[in-house]
Amino acid sequence: MVVALCAFTALTCWPAIGGVEIDLAGLVRNWSNGADKIAQLLRPDLTFLPRTVAPMLETLAMAVAGAAFAAIISIPLTLAAARPSNPNPLTRQLVRFCINVNRAVPDLVFATVLVAMVGVGTLPGFLTLFLFDLGVVVKLVSEAVDSADHPYLEAGTAAGGTQAQINRATVLPQSWPLFANQWLYSLELNVRISAILGIVGAGGIGRLLDERRGFFAYDDVSVIILEILVVVVVIEVISNALRRRLR
Amino acid sequence: MTIQSTTGGAAAETAAPWALSLTDVSVTYPNGTRALKNVSVHIEPGEIVSIVGLSGSGKSTLIRTINGLVPVTSGWVTAGGHDVTRARGRALRELRGHVGMIFQGFNLADRVSVLDNVLVGRFAHTPTIRTVLGLNRAADRELALRALDSVGMLEKVWTRAGALSGGQKQRVAIARALSQEPSVMLADEPVASLDPPTAHAVMNDLARTSSERGLTVLINIHLMDLARQYTQRMIGLRDGELVYDGPAAEATDADFEQIYGRPIQGRDRLGSV
Ligand SMILES: Nc1ncnc2c1ncn2[C@@H]1O[C@H](COP(=O)(O)OP(=O)(O)OP(=O)(O)O)[C@@H](O)[C@H]1O
Ligand SMILES: [Mg+2]
Repeated sequence: MVVALCAFTALTCWPAIGGVEIDLAGLVRNWSNGADKIAQLLRPDLTFLPRTVAPMLETLAMAVAGAAFAAIISIPLTLAAARPSNPNPLTRQLVRFCINVNRAVPDLVFATVLVAMVGVGTLPGFLTLFLFDLGVVVKLVSEAVDSADHPYLEAGTAAGGTQAQINRATVLPQSWPLFANQWLYSLELNVRISAILGIVGAGGIGRLLDERRGFFAYDDVSVIILEILVVVVVIEVISNALRRRLR
Repeated sequence: MTIQSTTGGAAAETAAPWALSLTDVSVTYPNGTRALKNVSVHIEPGEIVSIVGLSGSGKSTLIRTINGLVPVTSGWVTAGGHDVTRARGRALRELRGHVGMIFQGFNLADRVSVLDNVLVGRFAHTPTIRTVLGLNRAADRELALRALDSVGMLEKVWTRAGALSGGQKQRVAIARALSQEPSVMLADEPVASLDPPTAHAVMNDLARTSSERGLTVLINIHLMDLARQYTQRMIGLRDGELVYDGPAAEATDADFEQIYGRPIQGRDRLGSV
């Protein structure tokens, strides 16, 4: 398995068969240049920090809003995509197909297209995160619902319930932990992704990062990267603590 | 037979027991298994009937044809004069609303409160929009609480079903079925996952509440002493065929050997407590 993987990697890099060219020599040639930048990165200019606060809050707002809206919409879509909550194969496959298409589009492509459509700012960022989260949550939760046991379904059917009644009164409360887990996970992902989204014009801290990089102000870039790191870690710690309480 | 309980006129009206009849019923599952072969049986309103047979003899299949959980391949099933075989959609759901069912594995939603589990029994009598919005009628809650009271589980209304013991879970499941104010009660191995004293207690609850309400009761059970003690009539199944039909109390060991097709073994009895 590992050998096969190595062989495959080596083969795809082989120029003779039209593989990807990875110019390792370039790494050495540009070393002094790179070392310069790294030295700059190691000296973050903390006086720049105040200017990052507003964009960082913008990023967090995008991340939270995207995750929250996706969480709401994910409930009916997940129920429609899972077999125990939707026995109708036609609508189930339709929802699954749409979700798979959504997930096939890389987030940066979404962001780029949306920036072109609705203009530069936080709106395309929010929409990108919303669509991305919806794909993640619906896919993962519906699969978890599929593989879980639902003995109460038969009882609900035997009592003469409609599928909607059974879903609302039993499937949904049984699945809250699955949902909550993925909602928190999508929030974590959002903070990470939204930092990059700014690079294609979708607002937030990423735009500031892109701007400072454009000015070769690597000491400022360093501050931003450190800040993103701290925020990501903090969010992750909070979300992990919340998730532990769910179990 | 039994005196109707005095829990209000409407309750007595809806809970009038139903007759059940299977006419030449066969069930073949999609994988080709013939689970029931030309079974005909008529059950009078208010009768308490046990269905005995070895594992795989078709007991669960038979009981599930009565509320349409398993569709028949040929033959007719009627419950209270309604044709179960041809009922679809809303008509089938309404019919099921009159037929309570309890299961070997209790089939409760573990993370849901006891009360909300029992309210599942009110589905057929509740508009979907009400359930979806979480607006339960006071009358339905009242019925659920009364059902819980009749099985002695009233103190546990707000407990999560998953936190109960096996016997308590089965009592909640009985309450769920009773809250339907059913005309028929189906029980598929209701005590098979319980220890002997609990099994007797739950069988007692089931038999008592059912006879109080004058329900027609069908109980799948593989323990011969429980069948004799708690039911009036016994139906024996072997390989999907009806091989015995008679009074339960008088069924001899020889009758059981004939149904099982083998000598009586220790595990065919629960034993006294
Ligand atoms: N959904 C199904 N699909 C295919 N075959 C089935 C299905 N359910 C039951 N069977 C088969 O039908 C036959 C009768 O099964 P049934 O569950 O009715 O028996 P049972 O008497 O209830 O057995 P047990 O005491 O083990 O519960 C068995 O051979 C079983 O394997
Ligand atoms: Mg069975």
